[in-house]
Amino acid sequence: MRILATAALLGASLLAATAGAQTAAPPPGRLLASNCFQCHGTNGAGSTFDSLIGQSVDEIYKKLKEMQAENPGNNIMKAHARGYTDEQMRQISAYLSRQTSSSTSR
Amino acid sequence: MDNSHDKSQQVRRALLKAAGLGSLGALLPTLGCGGSDPAGEATSFALGRSSATATALPATGISGRVVVVGGGMAGAAVAKYLRLWGGAGVSVTLVERSASYTSNIMSNLVLTGQRSIGSLQYKYDNLVNRYGVKRVQGDVIAIDQAKKQVKLASGAPLDYDRLVLAPGVVFTYELDRGGIPGLETAAAQARVLHAWQAGSQTTALRKQITAMPNGGVFVLTIPAKPYRCPPGPYERACLVADWLKKNRPGSKVFILDANPGITAEVHSFTDAFMNVHAGVTEYRENVQIYGIDASTMTLDTSIGKLQANVINAIPPHRAGKVVTDAGLADLNGRWASVNQLSYESNVAAGIHVIGDSAGTDQPKAGHIGNQLGKVCADAIVRGFGGLPPDPAPVTNSACYSPITMDTASWLTAVFAFNQSTQKMAAVSDSFREAASRSGDNYSKMNKWFSALMTETFS
Repeated sequence: MRILATAALLGASLLAATAGAQTAAPPPGRLLASNCFQCHGTNGAGSTFDSLIGQSVDEIYKKLKEMQAENPGNNIMKAHARGYTDEQMRQISAYLSRQTSSSTSR
Repeated sequence: MDNSHDKSQQVRRALLKAAGLGSLGALLPTLGCGGSDPAGEATSFALGRSSATATALPATGISGRVVVVGGGMAGAAVAKYLRLWGGAGVSVTLVERSASYTSNIMSNLVLTGQRSIGSLQYKYDNLVNRYGVKRVQGDVIAIDQAKKQVKLASGAPLDYDRLVLAPGVVFTYELDRGGIPGLETAAAQARVLHAWQAGSQTTALRKQITAMPNGGVFVLTIPAKPYRCPPGPYERACLVADWLKKNRPGSKVFILDANPGITAEVHSFTDAFMNVHAGVTEYRENVQIYGIDASTMTLDTSIGKLQANVINAIPPHRAGKVVTDAGLADLNGRWASVNQLSYESNVAAGIHVIGDSAGTDQPKAGHIGNQLGKVCADAIVRGFGGLPPDPAPVTNSACYSPITMDTASWLTAVFAFNQSTQKMAAVSDSFREAASRSGDNYSKMNKWFSALMTETFS
């Protein structure tokens, strides 16, 4: 189920890229994922807090769900994770899993 | 004069709980100017050069011209993301009167001597060199909405397809707009500072604080919501109290809050005022300021008269001048109401308002200004490509708050678009504060700030 969903997202972004000159839709999940950039750097490639790139969609999603499940205490990220729905977390994870550097977003 | 002075002394003693406060010291010395900003770049119209530092922009095939007015957190972010997400065909011109941006975030640490104002200045070089943002240093004198042009104090008008206004706030001193009586003159405003726009006022307030005697009185007044940076005034009170405790024993910090209670991180700041800074801080809610006499340094309030060595009165705010002048401040004449998917003004098509000037239920804060810039950039880029805005944007606010000079708490809040109200609303489970203050939070605060400013200006 998850694999199909990821493939569908990838398919959509490929279609958009090959559509060429006009109306390329933004890569899915990018605006949602941009919520992460203030702390984790543009496209998640920052060096101050944890870099978010180089991980699979499942790894990122699992981490987000784990943080969401724990009592935040003094951990701001655990509190923050409670702000997103499962679907939003999947989109964010899929977007971040496609990034390789802070230059061009994918 | 003597009679009223004695009376105000009696009332002051009645207000103050603690004994052994001593009398107010000598009148404050004449204030000098604060530190000057470093010489800025002389360049205007700095085009993006292709160089080793240029970032590869996506080949979107999209084109359009955007002018952004205001180079603060929201303006810098929208400029960057219009290029990063729109590509080279989206021309972005950033108009800002200052050579650099001075961060309000962390500026309270200048008051304790922990930071210099210079360390809080951010130039626009990276936006220009990496993303090809064009920068114009100057003042906007008018917007011609019919011609879609921004008229500058000098230089040719700037044509736009879309205009983004992010001028921040102005402080209300006019009596007929809710200003505090007594602060209408320049002389009064130079004595009773706000220091709520970081820069020379911050260093001037620092000087006022260091000139306080032992047993001195510092009064902070907080305006009714909405105001810039909800936790900010409480952070300031905490830091000033901590510094005074260490350096001017016997001093007091009065926090006179117009609001019905602490507006952010209620647990953390209540603990701060009742426990951490007990004996120094005195917090009062629902206080109206009837007037301030800058020559006698006396406040007349709904809870009595109070005399102080330093009065830090944060005035009510309203949207920046360029928003008001263009007729866009339709919410009580103070803020711009906007489409909360795109930040396009509800009263002027093609003009977007982001950052502190926009009237939404999201807090006025730098972290969120950055995110509003991204939502707005995404909407404009989609619009140039013939697409509607993202139907479900999410924004977030995160902020670390100093409680002492070495411990901090934090707040976080995520906002999601509510289809029935058509407004951004807090996702309640994410609306939280730190469980306790800590040194670890304090060190993370420095990291958060560094990351946020890098993300916004680089």
